[in-house]
Amino acid sequence: MSGAVPRSRAARAAALARLVLRIGGRYAARSPQLIFASVDRRRELRHDLALRSAEEVAEELGAMKGALMKLGQMASYIDEGVPEEFRATMARLQRDAPPMSAGLAAAVVAEELGDTPEGAFGRWDPLPFAAASIGQVHRAITRDGRAVAVKVQYPGIGESIEADVRNVALLRRIARMAFPGLETSALVDELRDRLREEVDYALEAEHQQLFADYYEGHPVIHVPRVVPELSTRRVLTSELVPGSRFEDVLGWDQRERDLAAETIHRFVFRGLYRLHAFNGDPHPGNYLFHGRGRVTFLDFGLTKRFTANDLAPLEDAARYIAVERDGAGFRAALERAGFLQPGAPVATELVVDHLGAFYNTVLRDGPLTITPEYASALVRRFFDTRSPIAPYSNIPRAYVVLQRISLGLYGVLGSLRATGNWRRIAEEIWPFTNGPPSTPIGEAEARWRALRGEAPLGRSA
Amino acid sequence: MEPLTRDGLSPLKPLADALSSAVPEHPADDGLFGPRSVVWRLHRDRSFPVAAIRSLMLQALHPLTMAGVAQHSDWRRDPLGRLAATSGYVLTVTYGARADAEAAARRVRAVHRHVRGVDDVTGLPYSADDPALLLWVHAAMVDSVVCVADRYGRRLEPGDADRYVAEMVPFAVIVGIPEDLVPGSVRELTDYLSSVGLLQATPAARDAIGFVLDPPDLDPDMRETWRDLGQVAIGTLPEWARSLYGFPVPPTEALERVTVRQLVGVLDLSFESLPGVLEARQRIELRMRA
Repeated sequence: MSGAVPRSRAARAAALARLVLRIGGRYAARSPQLIFASVDRRRELRHDLALRSAEEVAEELGAMKGALMKLGQMASYIDEGVPEEFRATMARLQRDAPPMSAGLAAAVVAEELGDTPEGAFGRWDPLPFAAASIGQVHRAITRDGRAVAVKVQYPGIGESIEADVRNVALLRRIARMAFPGLETSALVDELRDRLREEVDYALEAEHQQLFADYYEGHPVIHVPRVVPELSTRRVLTSELVPGSRFEDVLGWDQRERDLAAETIHRFVFRGLYRLHAFNGDPHPGNYLFHGRGRVTFLDFGLTKRFTANDLAPLEDAARYIAVERDGAGFRAALERAGFLQPGAPVATELVVDHLGAFYNTVLRDGPLTITPEYASALVRRFFDTRSPIAPYSNIPRAYVVLQRISLGLYGVLGSLRATGNWRRIAEEIWPFTNGPPSTPIGEAEARWRALRGEAPLGRSA
Repeated sequence: MEPLTRDGLSPLKPLADALSSAVPEHPADDGLFGPRSVVWRLHRDRSFPVAAIRSLMLQALHPLTMAGVAQHSDWRRDPLGRLAATSGYVLTVTYGARADAEAAARRVRAVHRHVRGVDDVTGLPYSADDPALLLWVHAAMVDSVVCVADRYGRRLEPGDADRYVAEMVPFAVIVGIPEDLVPGSVRELTDYLSSVGLLQATPAARDAIGFVLDPPDLDPDMRETWRDLGQVAIGTLPEWARSLYGFPVPPTEALERVTVRQLVGVLDLSFESLPGVLEARQRIELRMRA
């Protein structure tokens, strides 16, 4: 692969294009048994400490621990600003949550699907292969022969999270400790809504299917399809996809990592600007990689949907700062979005300097490498309570998840040390630029859009 | 999250160390109680800190017990170290091998031999190895564990409370209380508690308990949580004990089971994140499952 002959840029692009074109039969006909067998356990779960009853679940994960796990997930995307002790506590909570015993998981399946797991599915692995924040994932093969991943929720966790989110005073106190200097009431309100949604797997299934339908046939983005007849509020069954984990990808060559990063970047931008839905969980564990830029996206438990009104000021902000280079327009858009108090006594150049930093990757047309240092600097800036605009800036509730994802996204791209012309990719997707395909993946994506009959984006269209 | 003191160290660290060294990795035997006992179950309950605060509040109401602490202990210089030592003792006797439990008890008895004097308030002489005082301390703890676990811990099954009180008899005997003095049932425990005279909230007791309820140098958010916990402990005290201190009745909503468990859950999480705590708990759990 690593030819000794230095190749021109054009030749390299052509080679990439060929790679992408080969994607065609990407998930072609592997037997469900093979898929089932190839999905390995992500890490050693402590089956010797498995929770055997709803009471043990309440003891281990109830009493605020569920809510704290979620808050910890928010904190886990962020390198700076979060006290080390809090981070350690949360990481531990997520890492060490014990699985359910086979019997307890089977009981949940039986309550939800009206049959034993072996009855409801043709083949069932009683040991989970992965932990989920409020449940665990089992491999199974359906009676009609599809390999599936079955997410099973801890019994009683819904009730205990509901009780937790009602204790607003305690949640705020914890959020203040976790995110010192941050205005926490919007964060806590958003956390409550998201937690309530997350315990409802039926809603997650709906969101996942929304993404799966939209990305049907996409050359590099894959979202596992939901199996609705085997999904309920506490059981979510979807297509089982084998793939490489994020940790593996970190050892791949840089070109592969760049391609993976490009796909993740496209997924986030396209979701926001085209689907008006953001999957709020850029956790590295929620991606599976298949090489040549192909990525499967998992876990839609934290999806945020936006109205056109929510998005309009954000589109304006991006357009003013990145395209029109109009500082006053940028500032006015941020004021409309509620990020900045109208009439705050700070110079517009300062607003551009501080809040414009979030658009750094898409300001200039040219290759740019996102490093972990860049991602950290961005977060530091976000958490800088001493900045001159800090007293006047805030994250409105509708955008809390968005903000989280952006920060998390840069964390992921930073870990990949990804290089790309992020500006050109953004231009393909921004409704106000409607740019031409800028990469081989972009070309393949344009063909996908044409095939599915999607009108070109943008106002001029 | 972490209950940081202003100097940036977790005040729970000594307690974490106490737990992890009290629970052996390769125990020689099952100790005084064994993995199937109610004692093992209740002493690892997450509500245990509330029981501990309640115990201290009751124990301090005996002027002679309190005088011994006030005149001989360095608790004010190192309150958490003192608490960790007590907690380490309880955990070692509970989960340690028999020889470790007995060695720990011998050390306590050796210290007690030198703790003697005259109480300023009552003018009475006291001695820490007086079985009557030791019995008061024992009974206050046993009563607090039962009361708090039932209200805020994993619920007790019928008969568990009696079993616990009976199982705890050896706990009293190894510090030097004659076995026939130690209550063996909830009924005997209640009778004993209501038979003890002399109880009062001396200035030394108020001082010490004020310190327990609002330790200095906690960071502001943790301070709120700790104070709330203190209110819960006050709310579980018997009426006579609360009146002796003159504490007002805490609001009912602060004492609701769900709310208290959330509060305890937050505290417990920061405790469990300290090195060694989760591992020690897992060692206990695995032995109870074996």
